[in-house]
Amino acid sequence: MDAVGGTGRPGVMGGLGAVRGRVLVVATVFRRELATVLRTPGYGALAVGLLAVLGGVVAVGGGAATGFVPTVVDLLLVTEVVVPLVAFVIGYRALLTDAETGELAVIRTYPVSVAGYVVGIVLARGLAFLAIVVVPYATIGVAVWATAAPDTTIFATHSGIDSPLLYLRFLGLLVPFGAAYLSLATAVSAVASSRRGAVAVGVLVLVVAVLGGDLAILRSLATGTAPSTVPGLLPLTPNGAFRGLVFEGVVGVAFAPEGGFVDVGRAVGSLLVWTLGGVAVSSATLAYGDRLEVLLEGARARTAE
Amino acid sequence: MAILDPFGDRFGRVLAAVAVLVVVAGIATAGAFAADPSVATPDPVAYDDTVELGLSSETDELMAGSARVPRVQVFYSQLQYVVGYNGIESFVASVDDGRTERQFGYPLVVHVETFDGGNPGVTEDGLLEAERSTDWVPADEAAYVVGSTARSPAGETVVPFSERTNAETFAAEHGGHVRDWTAARNRSFDVDSAATVRSMAPARWAAADRRVADAEASAAERAGEVVVVGRDAPTIDATVAAAPPNGTVVVPSGTYEETVTVNESVTIAGDDARVRGDGNGSVVTVRAPNVTVSGLTVDGVGNETRDPEAARESAGGDAEEGWDTNVQLGYGHGDAGIRAIGAPGLLVDDVTVETNASGVLLREGSDAVIRDLRVDGSDDWRDGFMGVIGMESRVTITEGRFEGGRDGVYLHRADGSTIRNSTFVGNRYGTHLMYTGDALIADNRFRDAEFGGITVMTRPSGNAIVGNDVRDSSAGIQASGTRSYVGYNTLADNRLGFSTSSRGSLYEHNVAVDNEVGAHATTVVPSSRVVANDFVGNDRHAKAGAGALRIWADGDRGNHWEGADVGLHEPGERAYRPTAPVDAVLHHETAAAVVRESPGAVLLDRLHGTVPGARSGSIVDPSPAPEPYAPDRVAAAREPDPSPVHPEWRVESGLAGDDSTTASTDTMNTHDLNATDGTNVRNGMEARRPTERPRTSAEPEDRR
Repeated sequence: MDAVGGTGRPGVMGGLGAVRGRVLVVATVFRRELATVLRTPGYGALAVGLLAVLGGVVAVGGGAATGFVPTVVDLLLVTEVVVPLVAFVIGYRALLTDAETGELAVIRTYPVSVAGYVVGIVLARGLAFLAIVVVPYATIGVAVWATAAPDTTIFATHSGIDSPLLYLRFLGLLVPFGAAYLSLATAVSAVASSRRGAVAVGVLVLVVAVLGGDLAILRSLATGTAPSTVPGLLPLTPNGAFRGLVFEGVVGVAFAPEGGFVDVGRAVGSLLVWTLGGVAVSSATLAYGDRLEVLLEGARARTAE
Repeated sequence: MAILDPFGDRFGRVLAAVAVLVVVAGIATAGAFAADPSVATPDPVAYDDTVELGLSSETDELMAGSARVPRVQVFYSQLQYVVGYNGIESFVASVDDGRTERQFGYPLVVHVETFDGGNPGVTEDGLLEAERSTDWVPADEAAYVVGSTARSPAGETVVPFSERTNAETFAAEHGGHVRDWTAARNRSFDVDSAATVRSMAPARWAAADRRVADAEASAAERAGEVVVVGRDAPTIDATVAAAPPNGTVVVPSGTYEETVTVNESVTIAGDDARVRGDGNGSVVTVRAPNVTVSGLTVDGVGNETRDPEAARESAGGDAEEGWDTNVQLGYGHGDAGIRAIGAPGLLVDDVTVETNASGVLLREGSDAVIRDLRVDGSDDWRDGFMGVIGMESRVTITEGRFEGGRDGVYLHRADGSTIRNSTFVGNRYGTHLMYTGDALIADNRFRDAEFGGITVMTRPSGNAIVGNDVRDSSAGIQASGTRSYVGYNTLADNRLGFSTSSRGSLYEHNVAVDNEVGAHATTVVPSSRVVANDFVGNDRHAKAGAGALRIWADGDRGNHWEGADVGLHEPGERAYRPTAPVDAVLHHETAAAVVRESPGAVLLDRLHGTVPGARSGSIVDPSPAPEPYAPDRVAAAREPDPSPVHPEWRVESGLAGDDSTTASTDTMNTHDLNATDGTNVRNGMEARRPTERPRTSAEPEDRR
């Protein structure tokens, strides 16, 4: 941790120096975490595997043969499952490993704040996520751009509503969607006390987040909630928000230009809140987890008596 | 690893580059959200390059003179092809039907043809005419004259102008009001559809009944003085020449070696008599109205199937016109057992012709009723010609039998003809229509046709093909054109059951059993309705050519596909895609059902049918019927001959004015280039020609 040592004593510096110091802390943690990611060959395999899955879906779905919107339609459902999954794979051990090995305790002896540490980790993992997820999706987009063509050119053809811009929008929406799950995964890695526990909690969170929100909406509609509340309720889960935004900005453009699939502000806000919420939970757990454990231990001891 | 070493010297620069990349991507993405792709305004294209829907631009009325139908070209949000409409009414009617939006998305841009500088007016027949159209303008920038005296062949028409003042001038001269696009767009128009054709089929049947009865009655009425061959004159020809007007020439049993020319209205009533020509030219030639020929057997017909001079005469000039002339001059001037030229009111009753050329040849308005005609043609179709050939003559054929030869019945510009209750065996085509619309082909039986049972070429409209039974042939029914009604046919053991080549048409209640391919979707842009058909035991139930996804159903009513309900779902609950590899084999591969239940297949199933206009080359039936619509006909189709299946289509509710599947969308049509061979791919000049056209002048129609 020589690099961390080089930051001097941020505690005694003030004003701009303090900010710079904190940025340096984040940068150092980021750099270290990135090294971890780069030394994990499995992530490369993950990206290749994802590309294969996506390629398979569009090849069998056939949408890619004609344009971007059908491609997005083919990919949407798969994306809603695969992207959270990949985010969890990238994030579920992010904070756990340092805690398990005791490295976190060592790092904490340096002037590194918990928030700075978490942000650095999340940024590095986020960059990894971009490389692992967005690059394969972008590759698919490029392939569609290069190959999609009408069946026959004996008639005049046009692209209709279809446009690479729509696919770019889709890629753009993948980022906050993935970020929300990555942040959730990080929170799981902070809360869990063992790798096995992290997997278990991670799968639970994944299932609840991917399916639970929509099931809840279905349930509430069945019990008499007004359908007009759907655009507002839908974005409460990351999946709902993402799907709503894809309909609003990408797929729906082809059949309902006026939109109205989701409350856009709320959906964007929701994704943001999930992301920040995950970071906050991670930080809070690392900062106060020990004290909580003491409290819990005490409570358990009392009930055991 | 050097460049990616996080602790290396150059890592800072790499990181900076990545940061710049991310920022650029972020800005691009923000730009993608800021831009609105739905406001793209593609420029108009050449109308000939559009996929034409609606009224055909090639009706005789339009081809003949300066009459025009204002054309529209539309860029739909999901459809990759530019769609052309003849008549703003066609466009409005098709958009008013929700199916269009479901299939193609919403119109992004609409361009209309304007007539400002084309000196627009109205012909004597009330059709809109103009020397030319001036410009394509966006529809919302044009001014429209509605309710003027100008009409299109289909009815009311709206005339667009790019300048409002020009519209006002036109309205002042020809009546009507000037409206903007919104107002013109919101009018409702009465446009004929394939459902209209369906509702008219029983009436055409009744009209044929009437024509037969009238011909009989008028023959009986005319039966004047009786002269007998052998008693009053030695030969039939001499007896006919000597017979008084409206006389009856009785031909006693026996063989008469001669040729006969009929120049006045007489009845030739044979009694098991045989007329044998000399092997040159036609045997009986009729050149007078109201002639009856009955009770004869004719042979000794010449071998000239068509006039070899015709090809030469027709050379030069417009290719299509030349071809048409070639056919009319060539086909119309071959040898035949009975040849009628300008002879309306002809009744051919109980006649047999043994020929290596044609059986009965009718041309120049020889409207005829042909009953109980039997034509024995050549064994190989290349050696013979048509059983009945009708040119510019309305033909009513009933209870005929046509064996061998080229085409059983060949009609060329014979609008309103009826062919019914007849049997066709071993022809090239059983019934072959060219430029012939408003015809009824009903309750016939076709067997072993080399090329096809029923084929309709060129672009006629309004044909009804009903209740036929085609088996063991290359193809059952291949009808091109527009607004056709193809219903209640039974197609078994053919290579192809039927093709959906006719645009804006209705294909319903057909039964396709044990064919190699049940049905072939050919048009690039789907515009027809295919519903309530039964597909059983075909190697492949359906195939699709190039073009947008076809949805074969009408609302929640689909077709019956054997195998569609295999698996773990309620019958009819799951969409069936006959063109998908797994669905296609469900009815003969048990294991396919297991593949179909995989999450991947289920997922893809769910996705198909979304943005259909942007997908291609396939067919989906969102609500397949669990049970056959006509189980009795499916069973009967598998029984051995001779048991032609003729459903009671005239009494079944679907045709008795019930409008359950009527549709204003039936006004939508597509180009069906090359329709009858089912490929739609045109190359260069072939584009707008009729399907059957000469490659060499010697053999003008052997395209296959």
